[in-house]
Amino acid sequence: MKFQDMTFDQVVSALQPQGFPNLNSTNSRPTSPYDEDYNCIAWAAEDTDYWWWPDAMGQKYWPTEVPREETLAAFVRAYGIQGYIERCDATVEQGKQKIAIYTASNGKPKHAARQIPDGWWASKLGQLIDIEHEFAALDGPAYGTVAVILARPGRNGGSEINP
Amino acid sequence: MGASTQSVQLQRQLNELTGYYALPASSRRDPRRDRFRSLAQQWRNETQWLSSTTEVAMNPAYQAIIGMGAEALPMILEDLRQNSGHWFWALKAISNEDPVVPRDRGSIKKMKGAWLQWGQTKGLVRA
Repeated sequence: MKFQDMTFDQVVSALQPQGFPNLNSTNSRPTSPYDEDYNCIAWAAEDTDYWWWPDAMGQKYWPTEVPREETLAAFVRAYGIQGYIERCDATVEQGKQKIAIYTASNGKPKHAARQIPDGWWASKLGQLIDIEHEFAALDGPAYGTVAVILARPGRNGGSEINP
Repeated sequence: MGASTQSVQLQRQLNELTGYYALPASSRRDPRRDRFRSLAQQWRNETQWLSSTTEVAMNPAYQAIIGMGAEALPMILEDLRQNSGHWFWALKAISNEDPVVPRDRGSIKKMKGAWLQWGQTKGLVRA
């Protein structure tokens, strides 16, 4: 069965053996249908029009000011352009937006997620769906673990947390 | 008098060929097309949750499709037209061309459009 035709429970069941041992339908929820147009790196930056990746073939979008290399430093710089310059932890802080960059054990970036007001995180799963999830729900061989969390002031100078 | 080994072999090949062309064209199996379909399915099954374009392109099934060379181009373009998918790395690697303008890199819809237009110009895929 194609991923596009699966229920969320079926997607979760299909992903678990692919390197998502912690993911389940209790610690995550779907928020969009299948969409191949953007990836997690773009989604963390709230871009749904481009697929971001610094691939050597120059196929995908990458900010021109940032070295086109698959390193944590390059990803930190790419998000720095979006205003994410303060290193922080995963707690919810009023007035701050946060993103998390995941790396594999070899240090290569694998994934990014964006914190949402209730303390969960918004992720795009490759070409598949958007989900919201608990902080550690995606940890595992597929995406690695969170290497760095970056913050920027909430837009309009206000809180990103609903009162 | 017995037939030589060579003539037996030739007769067998002739029989196979006759059997192949006895089938209507729509029923004939093209082993290259079957192999492409199998590899493309394997590639999708193994990579759809990945964000890394490099990992997606380095998948062994994807690399095997690139290894099929120019004969894979019409099949890739047809799959791109029907099912979409991130075929751009393979198309560039095989053709050594890239019709995508720099500002459209990463825009999957525009990249797909540029490559299908390229394929139509080359007569590799129908409009």
